Amino acid sequence: MVRYIHYTDPNSVEMVRELEQVPRCPGICFFMDVNKSTDMKYEGGLKDWGRKLNNTFNNLLYANHFQHHIVKGIGDEMMLFIPDDTLQKKPANNTCFALLEDIYAGLYLIKNHPDQDLFLNCKVAIHYCTEVYNITFFEGADDYYGSDIDLTARLMGKSIESRIVLSERFYLQVINDLENLGLPSDSGCLSRVSERFFDNFKGVPVSIAYRVIDVQ
Amino acid sequence: MEINEKKTGQCVIIGITGRLDTTNYSILEKKLMELIESHHDKILVECSNMDYVSSSGLRILLMALKKITMVKGKFVLCGLQENIREIFEISGFTNIFEIYSTQDEALKVF
Repeated sequence: MVRYIHYTDPNSVEMVRELEQVPRCPGICFFMDVNKSTDMKYEGGLKDWGRKLNNTFNNLLYANHFQHHIVKGIGDEMMLFIPDDTLQKKPANNTCFALLEDIYAGLYLIKNHPDQDLFLNCKVAIHYCTEVYNITFFEGADDYYGSDIDLTARLMGKSIESRIVLSERFYLQVINDLENLGLPSDSGCLSRVSERFFDNFKGVPVSIAYRVIDVQ
Repeated sequence: MEINEKKTGQCVIIGITGRLDTTNYSILEKKLMELIESHHDKILVECSNMDYVSSSGLRILLMALKKITMVKGKFVLCGLQENIREIFEISGFTNIFEIYSTQDEALKVF
């Protein structure tokens, strides 16, 4: 449940106290972005861009039951967050492995669709967050803040068309799911997962490990 | 999910019962790939008892369609429930798959 933070006094002691007590809300954060859509908007016009964006987001969200997890959308980019307790209660996509498989399938359907005029290819970054808080400073809004949300956004910089970038922490959650399910570690789209890369990201004090899966 | 298989003439009918999702799509994938690799190129998927499909399930259907189209075979679906049809429409699948209301109707095209 989102906590609305609002104090008129900038020196409010109560505000500091409340912020100190905000609980963490672990879960999965992922960003989806439509590749090169801004260029398309100016080259092809609003009608064609809007039609394809509508089709792409409907396809990705509806076929995967992600539509209830959008935190915010800015034009052609979306941030989604699924808290742990929500994920476990879902009838489908209730593990990190299942979620990854359906994201992969969503990108596959677009990349391999026989009618290439309907959709736009997408890129994704996904991270398992522990340092995250369900708070908002805007009345009526839902939002998530924390260094792990920032990191997910940074990982998007490593993604390209039809690619999923997964943090090592999310990857380990997937491996854990596979062990629990008694499945091999290269099940499903993990047969295409890359080796581990390390990189430094702006504002992140330590080197971050991640992997990529290119949709074929 | 349960899968059953029966033959009618040259056509193999695959019936899906229950949910087709990430937990079981690989069973359908294995079944369809086995059929295609053993040169069965006329496949009808009976969906009237399938009550959910995730994008992982859609991916397998698209893979099978592409493989069968390459060998000039026929891959047809029938009996989609209303909620499944909606997902097919959003995914642009209604334009690329041959879909019939009933099994009898679908079998006439083979």
